[in-house]
Amino acid sequence: MSNYVILSPATHKNLKVITGHGEAYGDKVRYAVTYPLEFRNIQSCYPIFFSKSSETGEFFPIALMGFEDGENLFLSDSGWDAAYIPMMMERQPFLIGYQASSDDQQDKKPVVSIDMDSPKLSEDEGQPLFDENDLPTDFLKSMMAKLEALYQGHEHNKGFISALTEIGLLEPFTLEITLDNGSNNQLLGFYTINEQKLLELDGETLAGLNSKGYLQPIYMAVASYARIRALIDKKNASLL
Amino acid sequence: MTNSVNRIVIVGGGTAGWLSAAIIAAEHYMADAPASDKHRFQLYLVESPDIPTVGVGEGTWPSMRSTLQKIGVSETDFIRQCSASFKQGTEFHNWTKGGDDTYTHPFTVPHKYSETNLAPHWQTVRDQVKFADAVCPQSRLFNNKLAPKNIATPEYAFNVNYGYHLDAGKFADFLRKHSVENLGVVHISANMTAINCADNGDIQSITTDSHGDIEGDLFIDCSGSQSLLLGKHYGIPLVSKKQYLYNDSALAVQVPYQNTEDPIQSCTLSIAQSAGWIWDIGLPTRRGIGHVYSSAHNTEDRATAELLDYIVATAGDQAAADACVRKITFEPGHREKFWHRNCVAIGMASGFIEPLEASALVLVELSAAMIADQLPANRQMMDIVAKRFNSKFLYRWDRIVDFLKLHYVLTQRQDSQYWIDNCHANGIPDSLQELLSIWQYQSPWHRDTHQIDELFPSASFQYVLYGMDFTTQTDTAQRRTDREAAKIAMTLFRENAQRTEQLINSLPTNRELINKIYKYGFQKI
Repeated sequence: MSNYVILSPATHKNLKVITGHGEAYGDKVRYAVTYPLEFRNIQSCYPIFFSKSSETGEFFPIALMGFEDGENLFLSDSGWDAAYIPMMMERQPFLIGYQASSDDQQDKKPVVSIDMDSPKLSEDEGQPLFDENDLPTDFLKSMMAKLEALYQGHEHNKGFISALTEIGLLEPFTLEITLDNGSNNQLLGFYTINEQKLLELDGETLAGLNSKGYLQPIYMAVASYARIRALIDKKNASLL
Repeated sequence: MTNSVNRIVIVGGGTAGWLSAAIIAAEHYMADAPASDKHRFQLYLVESPDIPTVGVGEGTWPSMRSTLQKIGVSETDFIRQCSASFKQGTEFHNWTKGGDDTYTHPFTVPHKYSETNLAPHWQTVRDQVKFADAVCPQSRLFNNKLAPKNIATPEYAFNVNYGYHLDAGKFADFLRKHSVENLGVVHISANMTAINCADNGDIQSITTDSHGDIEGDLFIDCSGSQSLLLGKHYGIPLVSKKQYLYNDSALAVQVPYQNTEDPIQSCTLSIAQSAGWIWDIGLPTRRGIGHVYSSAHNTEDRATAELLDYIVATAGDQAAADACVRKITFEPGHREKFWHRNCVAIGMASGFIEPLEASALVLVELSAAMIADQLPANRQMMDIVAKRFNSKFLYRWDRIVDFLKLHYVLTQRQDSQYWIDNCHANGIPDSLQELLSIWQYQSPWHRDTHQIDELFPSASFQYVLYGMDFTTQTDTAQRRTDREAAKIAMTLFRENAQRTEQLINSLPTNRELINKIYKYGFQKI
């Protein structure tokens, strides 16, 4: 479970954050939530699918890292074996939260929170968050920049998702995988871009998508399906 | 008059008129047909601005889901704009013994119903578990006021089968808007002042007070119980069913929730009274409550008192004091035929019977769908289609009468003349009497289904029969295959119990889901 509190030099002065990746640090997860502004980097390593929130029914894009719950095929003893790590994993144990100054939904101020239950926290090893003058260290500053990018990314993603659902570009998807050990596995419950529908879109719709920066990530997602093969290879290798 | 049938005039708005308009237009309207094409499909709906709609049809069958889908509306819009909630069946109180007895008729058929008839096997465990609980998860969901699905379930899809409760007035508005804006239906707000005949006796046009004459090839009478075209103009008589079903009066009232976040029922409640029964329907915004009774067995004063007692008990003194009771009287029955010459009646214009199994809206859906499907190509074909239509719907009305009467004949109540009279043999249709005889020795199953589009599946008969303590003499050692079947049945009972627990643990309440629909909406996939 997570236990997020607002970050402040008064309470978190001596806190350090371990920057590595591994099973012990909560990275053993099957997928990471992603967003279109990082699709270019994501698609170079991971297949991009869409999942549906059980709380709201809304779609969100994910980078797939394994075929079953708690399986991250990119993790090894030496860390996270990929050229790019999804921002939602990189930002751990921080989170950007919003403090509403009033009841006005528009007037929300982003604030940085930290998960006090994260295994990445330590008093002795890792990167300090504040210097002797209570100012953020370069490490914290870089994390804050990432959080800011995440925030922008999620805002942009909202429009992206509503454009996809409005046009009806998402479709349910099932993948049958036969592994080298002969076992049959099904990848269920995710959604993909409907490529046939994408090909049939008229010029006006395409121009509309393009003007908002949605067209490129759609094709990035389509291109990412080539990564499924690599992920299956990793899975087969893990069975040896 | 053109020989082809492409100009349709619906007389009367309300749910029947607008639902019919939407169903037929969704099938035939071509947005790109040029106005010069004289065979172009045209649908006019003439609605009087002065006549209020009855607006008490608030319960649907699961069929409404596919109807709405075909019409082309989003379920999210429908739920938000019609104050709709989910209906998973009906829960009957006090029908069997008159005190503390309850049974349910859920919308889901028994587990693995296509393969195994669980009813005879339930006889061996009937003292331990209610029939509906043994074979289907749904009635347990009623107790917890749970929804039939999650917010992540696509629109119109489900975890357990469902229909809706809705605000009839808002539903008519919703359908009107969609029909006019998206389905090319022409809405004419005017009073009909005359019906004009062609030489052959067909209706050629109707005259209105503000829009002149409106010509048509087919006229659909949705004028309500007045039945202006079929009944008044053509004189097709009403066939009364009062000898079987005594209820002819209803008192309807809208009751607010005590708190806006109070739970919303997952089913229609039907609570038997001294000479009728009370319905209780939960919408997100209010409850719709009514008392339907037999005027031969009860006075209006006493029926009102029973209704107010119920409101006091379930919504408090204030709600009862504020209650604005509306009285509706009706002759239970249907027209001798529904399609005569070039005129067909839908809704109350074709007949009306107490809303015990919410059959009013489903008959509208089925009537309009059959017209849409078999819309005659020309006037010559119309008589053949009319003949088919009449025989199909006469059959359906008979089945409705049988099925509604079944709820009464199984009662053990002797506490009022109403319940005693309901068990008189001469008040039971022969067709039902025959079924009751055979069911003493074999439980209803697929063999009892005569038509593929039977209104009530045999499972519905099972739920009512065994819900009301009916006993079928099944000797379980009678057949060689029975021992094997008993083993399978026990496995199915177990599976059902597991699935029930799993659903109870995973489904949100109606209120929670409705709140989420208002906030997020359903996805289409």
